[in-house]
Amino acid sequence: MGSSSGQPEFDYLFKVLLIGDSGVGKSSLLLSFTSNTFDDLSPTIGVDFKVKYLTIGEKKLKLAIWDTAGQERFRTLTSSYYRGAQGIIMVYDVTRRETFTNLSDIWAKEIDLYSTNQDCIKMLVGNKVDKESERAVSKKEGIDFARVYGCLFLECSAKTRVNVEQCFEELVLKILETPSLTAEGSSGGKKNIFKQNPAHTSNASSSYCCSS
Amino acid sequence: MEGSRLISKKKCSPTDRPSLRLCKCALKHGPISVVYKVSTNSNGSVFFKKLTSRGPVDKKVIQWLLSLHQIGLDVNRTDRSLEFYEKKENLSKLWDILCLCLDRPRCRLCQGMSDLCSPMIVLLEDEADSFFCFERLMRRLRGNFRSTGRSVGVEAQLTYLSSITQIIDPKLHQHLDKLGGGDYLCAIRMLMVQFRREFSFCGSLYLWEMIWALEYDPDLFHVYEAHQCGSEKVEVSNGKPKSMSQCGKYERQNMRNGGKSTEGRLPISVFLVASVLKDKSSKLMTEARGLDDVVKILNDMSGNLDAKKTCSGAIKIHKKYLRKAKK
Repeated sequence: MGSSSGQPEFDYLFKVLLIGDSGVGKSSLLLSFTSNTFDDLSPTIGVDFKVKYLTIGEKKLKLAIWDTAGQERFRTLTSSYYRGAQGIIMVYDVTRRETFTNLSDIWAKEIDLYSTNQDCIKMLVGNKVDKESERAVSKKEGIDFARVYGCLFLECSAKTRVNVEQCFEELVLKILETPSLTAEGSSGGKKNIFKQNPAHTSNASSSYCCSS
Repeated sequence: MEGSRLISKKKCSPTDRPSLRLCKCALKHGPISVVYKVSTNSNGSVFFKKLTSRGPVDKKVIQWLLSLHQIGLDVNRTDRSLEFYEKKENLSKLWDILCLCLDRPRCRLCQGMSDLCSPMIVLLEDEADSFFCFERLMRRLRGNFRSTGRSVGVEAQLTYLSSITQIIDPKLHQHLDKLGGGDYLCAIRMLMVQFRREFSFCGSLYLWEMIWALEYDPDLFHVYEAHQCGSEKVEVSNGKPKSMSQCGKYERQNMRNGGKSTEGRLPISVFLVASVLKDKSSKLMTEARGLDDVVKILNDMSGNLDAKKTCSGAIKIHKKYLRKAKK
Protein backbone atom coordinates (compact mmCIF):
# COMPACT_ATOMS: atom_id res chain seq x y z
CA MET A 1 0.00 0.00 0.00
CA GLY A 2 1.14 3.50 -0.70
CA SER A 3 1.99 5.18 2.54
CA SER A 4 1.98 8.73 3.69
CA SER A 5 5.70 8.88 2.95
CA GLY A 6 4.60 10.10 -0.45
CA GLN A 7 6.34 7.28 -2.31
CA PRO A 8 3.60 5.72 -4.45
CA GLU A 9 3.78 2.20 -5.78
CA PHE A 10 3.45 3.29 -9.38
CA ASP A 11 4.79 5.94 -11.72
CA TYR A 12 1.61 6.69 -13.55
CA LEU A 13 -2.06 6.28 -12.90
CA PHE A 14 -4.33 6.30 -15.90
CA LYS A 15 -8.08 6.29 -15.97
CA VAL A 16 -9.60 4.18 -18.70
CA LEU A 17 -13.29 3.93 -19.51
CA LEU A 18 -15.13 1.10 -21.23
CA ILE A 19 -18.25 2.06 -23.16
CA GLY A 20 -20.53 0.42 -25.70
CA ASP A 21 -23.92 -1.23 -26.09
CA SER A 22 -25.45 -3.62 -23.63
CA GLY A 23 -24.12 -7.14 -23.91
CA VAL A 24 -21.09 -6.52 -26.12
CA GLY A 25 -18.80 -7.90 -23.44
CA LYS A 26 -17.31 -4.89 -21.71
CA SER A 27 -17.29 -6.52 -18.29
CA SER A 28 -16.04 -9.80 -19.74
CA LEU A 29 -13.23 -8.01 -21.51
CA LEU A 30 -12.25 -6.33 -18.28
CA LEU A 31 -12.41 -9.55 -16.29
CA SER A 32 -10.42 -11.33 -18.96
CA PHE A 33 -7.77 -8.63 -18.76
CA THR A 34 -7.56 -8.23 -14.99
CA SER A 35 -7.92 -11.81 -13.84
CA ASN A 36 -7.39 -14.02 -16.90
CA THR A 37 -10.77 -15.62 -16.52
CA PHE A 38 -13.96 -15.78 -18.49
CA ASP A 39 -17.21 -16.16 -16.66
CA ASP A 40 -20.94 -15.68 -17.06
CA LEU A 41 -21.40 -12.16 -15.80
CA SER A 42 -24.55 -10.36 -14.76
CA PRO A 43 -25.48 -7.16 -16.58
CA THR A 44 -23.64 -4.19 -15.09
CA ILE A 45 -25.81 -1.85 -13.07
CA GLY A 46 -24.39 1.66 -12.97
CA VAL A 47 -20.63 1.24 -13.01
CA ASP A 48 -18.06 -1.26 -11.98
CA PHE A 49 -14.40 -0.80 -11.50
CA LYS A 50 -11.15 -2.76 -11.60
CA VAL A 51 -7.48 -2.04 -11.18
CA LYS A 52 -4.62 -3.53 -13.13
CA TYR A 53 -0.93 -2.95 -12.64
CA LEU A 54 1.26 -3.04 -15.70
CA THR A 55 4.94 -2.54 -16.26
CA ILE A 56 5.83 -1.06 -19.59
CA GLY A 57 9.49 -0.43 -20.20
CA GLU A 58 10.67 0.68 -16.81
CA LYS A 59 7.50 2.45 -15.96
CA LYS A 60 5.11 1.04 -13.42
CA LEU A 61 1.53 1.81 -14.31
CA LYS A 62 -1.69 1.61 -12.43
CA LEU A 63 -4.72 1.36 -14.66
CA ALA A 64 -8.02 2.31 -13.13
CA ILE A 65 -10.56 0.84 -15.48
CA TRP A 66 -14.18 1.89 -15.26
CA ASP A 67 -16.74 -0.43 -16.69
CA THR A 68 -20.04 1.25 -17.47
CA ALA A 69 -23.52 -0.14 -17.99
CA GLY A 70 -24.47 -0.20 -21.64
CA GLN A 71 -28.18 0.30 -21.38
CA GLU A 72 -29.62 3.60 -22.44
CA ARG A 73 -31.34 4.15 -19.13
CA PHE A 74 -28.03 4.38 -17.32
CA ARG A 75 -26.41 6.85 -19.66
CA THR A 76 -27.23 9.88 -17.55
CA LEU A 77 -25.52 8.18 -14.65
CA THR A 78 -22.43 7.03 -16.47
CA SER A 79 -21.75 10.36 -18.14
CA SER A 80 -19.98 11.72 -15.09
CA TYR A 81 -17.40 8.98 -15.33
CA TYR A 82 -15.99 10.30 -18.59
CA ARG A 83 -14.42 13.11 -16.63
CA GLY A 84 -10.67 12.97 -16.55
CA ALA A 85 -10.31 9.71 -18.47
CA GLN A 86 -7.06 9.43 -20.39
CA GLY A 87 -8.31 6.52 -22.43
CA ILE A 88 -11.72 5.44 -23.68
CA ILE A 89 -12.36 2.01 -25.14
CA MET A 90 -15.43 1.70 -27.35
CA VAL A 91 -16.50 -1.91 -27.51
CA TYR A 92 -18.79 -3.55 -30.03
CA ASP A 93 -19.79 -7.11 -30.74
CA VAL A 94 -18.60 -8.30 -34.17
CA THR A 95 -21.61 -10.61 -34.39
CA ARG A 96 -24.19 -7.88 -33.80
CA ARG A 97 -24.10 -5.17 -36.34
CA GLU A 98 -26.24 -2.69 -34.42
CA THR A 99 -23.65 -2.53 -31.66
CA PHE A 100 -21.23 -1.27 -34.30
CA THR A 101 -23.55 1.27 -35.91
CA ASN A 102 -24.48 2.60 -32.46
CA LEU A 103 -20.87 3.60 -31.96
CA SER A 104 -21.20 6.42 -34.46
CA ASP A 105 -24.88 7.07 -33.69
CA ILE A 106 -24.51 7.19 -29.95
CA TRP A 107 -21.21 6.46 -28.31
CA ALA A 108 -18.90 8.73 -30.28
CA LYS A 109 -21.33 11.55 -29.52
CA GLU A 110 -21.29 10.69 -25.84
CA ILE A 111 -17.52 11.03 -25.86
CA ASP A 112 -17.73 14.44 -27.51
CA LEU A 113 -20.30 15.54 -24.97
CA TYR A 114 -18.76 14.31 -21.78
CA SER A 115 -15.07 13.74 -22.18
CA THR A 116 -13.14 16.57 -20.60
CA ASN A 117 -9.82 15.52 -22.02
CA GLN A 118 -9.16 16.84 -25.48
CA ASP A 119 -6.17 14.59 -26.03
CA CYS A 120 -7.87 11.53 -24.59
CA ILE A 121 -6.92 8.39 -26.51
CA LYS A 122 -9.81 6.50 -28.04
CA MET A 123 -9.75 2.88 -28.98
CA LEU A 124 -12.19 0.80 -30.95
CA VAL A 125 -12.47 -2.85 -29.96
CA GLY A 126 -14.49 -5.50 -31.76
CA ASN A 127 -15.17 -8.29 -29.28
CA LYS A 128 -16.28 -11.92 -29.69
CA VAL A 129 -14.09 -12.84 -32.67
CA ASP A 130 -14.27 -16.42 -31.40
CA LYS A 131 -17.70 -16.54 -33.06
CA GLU A 132 -16.20 -16.09 -36.51
CA SER A 133 -19.05 -17.88 -38.26
CA GLU A 134 -21.56 -15.38 -36.89
CA ARG A 135 -19.54 -12.35 -37.80
CA ALA A 136 -21.67 -9.41 -38.98
CA VAL A 137 -19.07 -6.64 -39.03
CA SER A 138 -15.96 -7.05 -41.14
CA LYS A 139 -12.53 -6.12 -39.93
CA LYS A 140 -12.25 -3.59 -42.73
CA GLU A 141 -15.32 -1.73 -41.47
CA GLY A 142 -13.72 -1.52 -38.07
CA ILE A 143 -10.52 -0.17 -39.57
CA ASP A 144 -12.45 2.40 -41.59
CA PHE A 145 -14.38 3.55 -38.54
CA ALA A 146 -11.18 3.90 -36.56
CA ARG A 147 -9.65 5.98 -39.34
CA VAL A 148 -12.62 8.34 -39.48
CA TYR A 149 -12.78 8.83 -35.73
CA GLY A 150 -9.05 8.85 -35.20
CA CYS A 151 -8.85 5.96 -32.84
CA LEU A 152 -6.84 2.79 -32.38
CA PHE A 153 -8.42 -0.46 -33.45
CA LEU A 154 -8.21 -4.12 -32.49
CA GLU A 155 -10.42 -7.16 -32.69
CA CYS A 156 -10.36 -9.48 -29.71
CA SER A 157 -12.12 -12.21 -27.81
CA ALA A 158 -12.63 -11.97 -24.09
CA LYS A 159 -13.43 -15.68 -24.14
CA THR A 160 -10.28 -16.98 -25.82
CA ARG A 161 -8.25 -14.00 -24.57
CA VAL A 162 -7.02 -13.31 -28.08
CA ASN A 163 -5.72 -9.73 -28.25
CA VAL A 164 -7.16 -8.84 -24.85
CA GLU A 165 -3.89 -7.69 -23.35
CA GLN A 166 -2.90 -5.98 -26.57
CA CYS A 167 -6.05 -3.83 -26.39
CA PHE A 168 -5.04 -2.28 -23.14
CA GLU A 169 -1.32 -2.21 -23.86
CA GLU A 170 -1.68 -0.40 -27.16
CA LEU A 171 -3.93 2.13 -25.51
CA VAL A 172 -1.49 2.67 -22.68
CA LEU A 173 1.49 3.00 -25.03
CA LYS A 174 -0.35 5.69 -26.91
CA ILE A 175 -1.24 7.49 -23.70
CA LEU A 176 2.42 7.35 -22.68
CA GLU A 177 3.35 8.99 -25.97
CA THR A 178 1.04 11.91 -25.27
CA PRO A 179 2.78 14.42 -23.00
CA SER A 180 -0.37 16.16 -21.79
CA LEU A 181 -1.83 12.84 -20.64
CA THR A 182 1.30 11.56 -18.94
CA ALA A 183 1.56 14.83 -17.08
CA GLU A 184 -1.93 14.28 -15.70
CA GLY A 185 -1.38 10.68 -14.83
CA SER A 186 2.06 11.06 -13.34
CA SER A 187 2.17 10.48 -9.62
CA GLY A 188 4.02 13.69 -9.06
CA GLY A 189 1.53 15.50 -11.19
CA LYS A 190 -0.87 18.29 -10.60
CA LYS A 191 -1.93 19.07 -7.12
CA ASN A 192 -3.93 22.11 -7.92
CA ILE A 193 -7.67 22.67 -8.14
CA PHE A 194 -8.16 19.76 -5.80
CA LYS A 195 -10.21 20.72 -2.81
CA GLN A 196 -8.28 18.41 -0.57
CA ASN A 197 -6.32 19.32 2.50
CA PRO A 198 -2.55 19.20 2.10
CA ALA A 199 -2.11 16.16 4.31
CA HIS A 200 -3.89 14.06 1.71
CA THR A 201 -2.41 15.38 -1.47
CA SER A 202 0.62 13.13 -1.45
CA ASN A 203 -1.65 10.14 -1.54
CA ALA A 204 -4.11 11.45 -4.01
CA SER A 205 -1.75 10.78 -6.83
CA SER A 206 -4.46 10.32 -9.32
CA SER A 207 -6.24 11.90 -12.17
CA TYR A 208 -9.02 12.86 -9.82
CA CYS A 209 -6.84 15.77 -8.92
CA CYS A 210 -8.12 17.52 -11.95
CA SER A 211 -11.63 16.29 -11.87
CA SER A 212 -13.22 18.60 -9.38
CA MET B 1 -51.74 -2.09 -35.84
CA GLU B 2 -51.61 -5.12 -38.06
CA GLY B 3 -48.09 -5.70 -36.93
CA SER B 4 -48.70 -5.79 -33.23
CA ARG B 5 -51.45 -8.32 -33.64
CA LEU B 6 -49.07 -10.47 -35.50
CA ILE B 7 -46.47 -10.17 -32.78
CA SER B 8 -48.78 -10.84 -29.90
CA LYS B 9 -49.58 -14.20 -31.42
CA LYS B 10 -45.94 -15.00 -31.55
CA LYS B 11 -44.71 -16.94 -28.59
CA CYS B 12 -41.59 -15.49 -27.08
CA SER B 13 -38.60 -17.66 -26.53
CA PRO B 14 -34.96 -16.78 -26.20
CA THR B 15 -34.09 -18.56 -29.40
CA ASP B 16 -36.22 -16.75 -31.92
CA ARG B 17 -35.86 -13.17 -30.87
CA PRO B 18 -35.58 -10.69 -33.71
CA SER B 19 -32.37 -8.93 -34.47
CA LEU B 20 -32.09 -5.49 -33.00
CA ARG B 21 -30.58 -4.23 -36.20
CA LEU B 22 -33.79 -4.86 -38.02
CA CYS B 23 -35.83 -3.07 -35.41
CA LYS B 24 -33.60 -0.02 -35.55
CA CYS B 25 -33.62 -0.11 -39.29
CA ALA B 26 -37.38 -0.10 -39.39
CA LEU B 27 -37.42 2.85 -37.03
CA LYS B 28 -35.08 4.83 -39.24
CA HIS B 29 -35.92 3.99 -42.78
CA GLY B 30 -39.37 2.52 -42.79
CA PRO B 31 -40.50 -0.90 -43.84
CA ILE B 32 -39.09 -1.12 -47.34
CA SER B 33 -35.52 -1.17 -46.23
CA VAL B 34 -36.47 -3.59 -43.51
CA VAL B 35 -37.65 -6.04 -46.11
CA TYR B 36 -34.45 -5.49 -47.95
CA LYS B 37 -32.30 -5.97 -44.86
CA VAL B 38 -34.29 -8.99 -43.90
CA SER B 39 -33.39 -10.68 -47.11
CA THR B 40 -29.72 -10.24 -46.23
CA ASN B 41 -29.97 -11.48 -42.69
CA SER B 42 -31.07 -14.89 -41.59
CA ASN B 43 -31.71 -14.00 -37.97
CA GLY B 44 -35.39 -13.36 -37.47
CA SER B 45 -35.89 -12.83 -41.17
CA VAL B 46 -39.01 -14.89 -41.65
CA PHE B 47 -40.64 -13.15 -38.77
CA PHE B 48 -39.81 -9.75 -40.17
CA LYS B 49 -40.94 -10.56 -43.65
CA LYS B 50 -44.30 -11.49 -42.22
CA LEU B 51 -44.37 -8.40 -40.08
CA THR B 52 -43.53 -5.91 -42.79
CA SER B 53 -45.62 -7.49 -45.50
CA ARG B 54 -48.69 -6.16 -43.71
CA GLY B 55 -47.78 -2.52 -44.10
CA PRO B 56 -45.85 0.11 -42.12
CA VAL B 57 -44.57 -0.94 -38.74
CA ASP B 58 -45.92 1.03 -35.83
CA LYS B 59 -43.39 2.81 -33.62
CA LYS B 60 -44.85 1.13 -30.59
CA VAL B 61 -44.22 -2.21 -32.18
CA ILE B 62 -40.63 -1.30 -32.78
CA GLN B 63 -40.20 -0.15 -29.21
CA TRP B 64 -41.68 -3.43 -28.18
CA LEU B 65 -39.23 -5.33 -30.32
CA LEU B 66 -36.30 -3.38 -28.93
CA SER B 67 -37.44 -4.25 -25.42
CA LEU B 68 -37.77 -7.89 -26.44
CA HIS B 69 -34.22 -7.82 -27.62
CA GLN B 70 -33.04 -6.31 -24.35
CA ILE B 71 -34.91 -8.98 -22.41
CA GLY B 72 -33.06 -11.60 -24.41
CA LEU B 73 -29.73 -10.02 -23.51
CA ASP B 74 -30.59 -9.76 -19.82
CA VAL B 75 -32.21 -13.15 -19.40
CA ASN B 76 -29.15 -14.91 -20.70
CA ARG B 77 -27.03 -13.16 -18.10
CA THR B 78 -29.17 -13.37 -14.99
CA ASP B 79 -28.15 -15.59 -12.07
CA ARG B 80 -26.24 -17.88 -14.36
CA SER B 81 -24.31 -19.30 -11.43
CA LEU B 82 -27.52 -20.99 -10.29
CA GLU B 83 -27.98 -24.56 -11.40
CA PHE B 84 -31.66 -23.75 -11.79
CA TYR B 85 -31.01 -21.75 -14.93
CA GLU B 86 -29.07 -24.48 -16.65
CA LYS B 87 -32.49 -25.74 -17.68
CA LYS B 88 -33.68 -23.96 -20.79
CA GLU B 89 -37.29 -24.07 -19.67
CA ASN B 90 -36.49 -22.09 -16.54
CA LEU B 91 -34.74 -19.47 -18.62
CA SER B 92 -37.81 -19.32 -20.83
CA LYS B 93 -39.97 -18.69 -17.79
CA LEU B 94 -37.87 -15.69 -16.89
CA TRP B 95 -38.08 -14.54 -20.48
CA ASP B 96 -41.85 -15.00 -20.65
CA ILE B 97 -42.60 -13.16 -17.45
CA LEU B 98 -40.48 -10.17 -18.37
CA CYS B 99 -42.19 -10.12 -21.77
CA LEU B 100 -45.61 -10.23 -20.14
CA CYS B 101 -44.70 -7.19 -18.11
CA LEU B 102 -44.09 -5.25 -21.29
CA ASP B 103 -47.79 -5.41 -21.95
CA ARG B 104 -48.58 -3.64 -18.70
CA PRO B 105 -49.37 0.05 -18.94
CA ARG B 106 -46.48 2.43 -18.30
CA CYS B 107 -44.14 -0.46 -17.86
CA ARG B 108 -40.79 -0.13 -19.52
CA LEU B 109 -38.16 -2.69 -19.18
CA CYS B 110 -34.93 -1.66 -17.58
CA GLN B 111 -31.79 -3.52 -16.80
CA GLY B 112 -31.95 -4.84 -13.27
CA MET B 113 -35.54 -6.02 -13.51
CA SER B 114 -34.41 -9.52 -14.42
CA ASP B 115 -32.49 -9.59 -11.13
CA LEU B 116 -35.72 -8.80 -9.31
CA CYS B 117 -37.78 -11.27 -11.31
CA SER B 118 -35.43 -14.22 -11.07
CA PRO B 119 -36.08 -15.17 -7.41
CA MET B 120 -39.82 -15.30 -8.05
CA ILE B 121 -39.26 -17.89 -10.71
CA VAL B 122 -36.88 -19.90 -8.59
CA LEU B 123 -39.20 -19.88 -5.58
CA LEU B 124 -42.64 -20.25 -7.11
CA GLU B 125 -43.41 -23.20 -9.26
CA ASP B 126 -46.43 -21.73 -10.92
CA GLU B 127 -45.57 -19.24 -13.60
CA ALA B 128 -48.70 -17.19 -12.96
CA ASP B 129 -47.77 -16.81 -9.29
CA SER B 130 -44.28 -15.73 -10.26
CA PHE B 131 -45.69 -13.18 -12.62
CA PHE B 132 -48.05 -11.61 -10.13
CA CYS B 133 -45.45 -11.53 -7.37
CA PHE B 134 -42.98 -9.86 -9.66
CA GLU B 135 -45.61 -7.45 -10.93
CA ARG B 136 -46.52 -6.39 -7.38
CA LEU B 137 -42.87 -6.08 -6.47
CA MET B 138 -42.46 -3.76 -9.41
CA ARG B 139 -45.34 -1.61 -8.17
CA ARG B 140 -43.27 -1.08 -5.08
CA LEU B 141 -40.05 -0.41 -6.94
CA ARG B 142 -41.13 1.05 -10.24
CA GLY B 143 -40.22 4.56 -9.20
CA ASN B 144 -36.56 3.55 -9.03
CA PHE B 145 -36.51 2.64 -12.69
CA ARG B 146 -38.43 5.60 -14.01
CA SER B 147 -36.31 7.63 -16.34
CA THR B 148 -36.85 11.14 -17.57
CA GLY B 149 -33.94 11.12 -19.93
CA ARG B 150 -32.06 13.38 -17.56
CA SER B 151 -32.28 11.35 -14.44
CA VAL B 152 -33.34 7.99 -13.16
CA GLY B 153 -35.90 7.66 -10.37
CA VAL B 154 -33.50 6.07 -7.97
CA GLU B 155 -31.43 9.25 -7.87
CA ALA B 156 -34.01 10.87 -5.61
CA GLN B 157 -33.23 8.21 -3.03
CA LEU B 158 -29.54 8.91 -3.39
CA THR B 159 -30.23 12.49 -2.34
CA TYR B 160 -31.88 11.20 0.83
CA LEU B 161 -29.01 8.81 1.36
CA SER B 162 -26.69 11.78 1.21
CA SER B 163 -28.62 13.68 3.86
CA ILE B 164 -28.87 10.59 6.04
CA THR B 165 -25.13 9.97 5.93
CA GLN B 166 -24.49 13.63 6.67
CA ILE B 167 -26.44 13.25 9.87
CA ILE B 168 -25.35 9.76 10.89
CA ASP B 169 -21.73 9.75 9.85
CA PRO B 170 -20.69 13.27 8.86
CA LYS B 171 -17.01 12.33 8.64
CA LEU B 172 -17.71 9.59 6.13
CA HIS B 173 -19.87 11.92 4.10
CA GLN B 174 -17.15 14.56 4.06
CA HIS B 175 -14.64 11.97 2.98
CA LEU B 176 -16.82 10.64 0.17
CA ASP B 177 -17.67 14.14 -0.94
CA LYS B 178 -14.00 15.07 -1.07
CA LEU B 179 -13.33 12.09 -3.31
CA GLY B 180 -16.08 13.18 -5.65
CA GLY B 181 -18.56 10.57 -4.43
CA GLY B 182 -20.95 12.92 -2.68
CA ASP B 183 -23.64 12.04 -5.19
CA TYR B 184 -23.59 8.44 -3.89
CA LEU B 185 -23.89 7.08 -7.41
CA CYS B 186 -21.66 4.26 -6.25
CA ALA B 187 -24.56 2.99 -4.14
CA ILE B 188 -27.03 2.90 -6.98
CA ARG B 189 -26.81 -0.81 -7.61
CA MET B 190 -27.87 -1.70 -4.09
CA LEU B 191 -31.07 0.29 -4.46
CA MET B 192 -31.78 -0.63 -8.02
CA VAL B 193 -31.65 -4.39 -7.67
CA GLN B 194 -32.43 -4.42 -3.96
CA PHE B 195 -29.08 -5.80 -2.82
CA ARG B 196 -29.24 -8.82 -5.08
CA ARG B 197 -25.58 -8.40 -6.00
CA GLU B 198 -24.25 -7.52 -2.57
CA PHE B 199 -25.77 -10.46 -0.77
CA SER B 200 -25.77 -14.13 -1.66
CA PHE B 201 -28.90 -15.42 -3.38
CA CYS B 202 -30.36 -16.72 -0.14
CA GLY B 203 -29.07 -13.76 1.81
CA SER B 204 -30.83 -11.31 -0.44
CA LEU B 205 -34.09 -13.23 -0.25
CA TYR B 206 -33.83 -13.25 3.51
CA LEU B 207 -33.21 -9.53 3.35
CA TRP B 208 -36.19 -8.96 1.07
CA GLU B 209 -38.48 -10.72 3.49
CA MET B 210 -37.14 -8.63 6.32
CA ILE B 211 -37.68 -5.49 4.27
CA TRP B 212 -41.26 -6.42 3.50
CA ALA B 213 -41.97 -7.33 7.11
CA LEU B 214 -40.38 -4.17 8.48
CA GLU B 215 -42.18 -1.96 5.98
CA TYR B 216 -45.47 -3.79 6.32
CA ASP B 217 -48.54 -1.63 6.37
CA PRO B 218 -52.00 -3.21 6.11
CA ASP B 219 -53.02 -0.46 3.70
CA LEU B 220 -50.31 -1.36 1.24
CA PHE B 221 -52.45 -3.94 -0.44
CA HIS B 222 -55.14 -1.37 -1.21
CA VAL B 223 -52.57 1.12 -2.36
CA TYR B 224 -51.13 -1.30 -4.87
CA GLU B 225 -54.51 -2.51 -6.04
CA ALA B 226 -56.13 0.90 -6.35
CA HIS B 227 -53.43 2.32 -8.53
CA GLN B 228 -52.30 0.81 -11.73
CA CYS B 229 -48.63 0.19 -12.07
CA GLY B 230 -46.52 3.26 -12.56
CA SER B 231 -48.43 5.46 -10.16
CA GLU B 232 -46.67 7.90 -7.89
CA LYS B 233 -46.39 7.60 -4.16
CA VAL B 234 -49.87 7.66 -2.76
CA GLU B 235 -51.38 8.86 0.44
CA VAL B 236 -53.75 6.39 1.94
CA SER B 237 -57.03 8.10 2.50
CA ASN B 238 -59.55 5.47 3.37
CA GLY B 239 -60.18 7.14 6.69
CA LYS B 240 -60.23 4.20 9.05
CA PRO B 241 -57.55 4.37 11.64
CA LYS B 242 -55.13 1.53 11.41
CA SER B 243 -53.72 -0.13 14.41
CA MET B 244 -50.04 0.44 14.92
CA SER B 245 -49.51 -3.11 16.02
CA GLN B 246 -50.41 -4.33 12.55
CA CYS B 247 -47.52 -2.48 10.99
CA GLY B 248 -43.94 -3.51 10.63
CA LYS B 249 -41.29 -2.12 12.92
CA TYR B 250 -39.95 0.37 10.40
CA GLU B 251 -43.42 1.62 9.60
CA ARG B 252 -44.20 1.97 13.31
CA GLN B 253 -41.15 4.14 13.80
CA ASN B 254 -42.34 6.32 10.98
CA MET B 255 -45.85 6.53 12.39
CA ARG B 256 -44.63 7.53 15.78
CA ASN B 257 -42.74 10.29 14.06
CA GLY B 258 -45.80 11.65 12.36
CA GLY B 259 -45.60 9.25 9.49
CA LYS B 260 -46.73 11.47 6.71
CA SER B 261 -43.53 13.42 6.29
CA THR B 262 -41.36 12.88 3.22
CA GLU B 263 -38.95 10.80 5.22
CA GLY B 264 -41.89 8.74 6.35
CA ARG B 265 -42.36 7.52 2.81
CA LEU B 266 -38.71 6.69 2.33
CA PRO B 267 -38.17 3.00 1.71
CA ILE B 268 -36.09 1.22 4.28
CA SER B 269 -33.62 0.29 1.56
CA VAL B 270 -32.10 3.76 1.78
CA PHE B 271 -31.34 3.12 5.44
CA LEU B 272 -30.03 -0.31 4.56
CA VAL B 273 -27.52 1.29 2.23
CA ALA B 274 -26.63 3.74 4.97
CA SER B 275 -26.14 0.77 7.26
CA VAL B 276 -23.85 -0.94 4.75
CA LEU B 277 -21.86 2.26 4.33
CA LYS B 278 -21.56 2.66 8.09
CA ASP B 279 -20.38 -0.90 8.33
CA LYS B 280 -17.68 -0.18 5.77
CA SER B 281 -17.04 3.27 7.17
CA SER B 282 -13.63 2.63 8.70
CA LYS B 283 -12.45 0.78 5.62
CA LEU B 284 -13.67 3.60 3.41
CA MET B 285 -12.07 6.21 5.63
CA THR B 286 -8.67 4.55 5.76
CA GLU B 287 -8.36 2.83 2.40
CA ALA B 288 -10.31 4.91 -0.06
CA ARG B 289 -8.16 7.60 -1.61
CA GLY B 290 -10.15 8.03 -4.76
CA LEU B 291 -13.61 7.36 -6.07
CA ASP B 292 -12.19 4.23 -7.65
CA ASP B 293 -11.33 2.80 -4.24
CA VAL B 294 -14.83 3.56 -3.00
CA VAL B 295 -16.46 1.73 -5.88
CA LYS B 296 -14.04 -1.13 -5.48
CA ILE B 297 -14.69 -1.52 -1.75
CA LEU B 298 -18.45 -1.42 -2.30
CA ASN B 299 -18.41 -3.78 -5.26
CA ASP B 300 -16.03 -6.22 -3.64
CA MET B 301 -18.34 -6.96 -0.75
CA SER B 302 -20.53 -9.02 -3.08
CA GLY B 303 -22.04 -12.00 -1.39
CA ASN B 304 -20.54 -11.59 2.06
CA LEU B 305 -22.85 -9.25 3.89
CA ASP B 306 -25.05 -10.31 6.75
CA ALA B 307 -28.73 -9.57 6.16
CA LYS B 308 -29.81 -9.59 9.78
CA LYS B 309 -27.02 -7.32 10.90
CA THR B 310 -27.66 -4.91 8.06
CA CYS B 311 -31.36 -4.74 8.94
CA SER B 312 -30.85 -4.04 12.60
CA GLY B 313 -28.24 -1.48 11.62
CA ALA B 314 -30.74 0.19 9.32
CA ILE B 315 -33.39 0.32 12.04
CA LYS B 316 -30.92 1.93 14.43
CA ILE B 317 -29.85 4.48 11.84
CA HIS B 318 -33.47 5.22 11.05
CA LYS B 319 -34.23 5.88 14.72
CA LYS B 320 -31.21 8.10 15.07
CA TYR B 321 -32.03 9.92 11.87
CA LEU B 322 -35.61 10.64 12.92
CA ARG B 323 -34.41 11.88 16.27
CA LYS B 324 -31.73 14.13 14.83
CA ALA B 325 -33.74 15.32 11.88
CA LYS B 326 -36.41 16.59 14.24
CA LYS B 327 -34.01 18.94 15.94
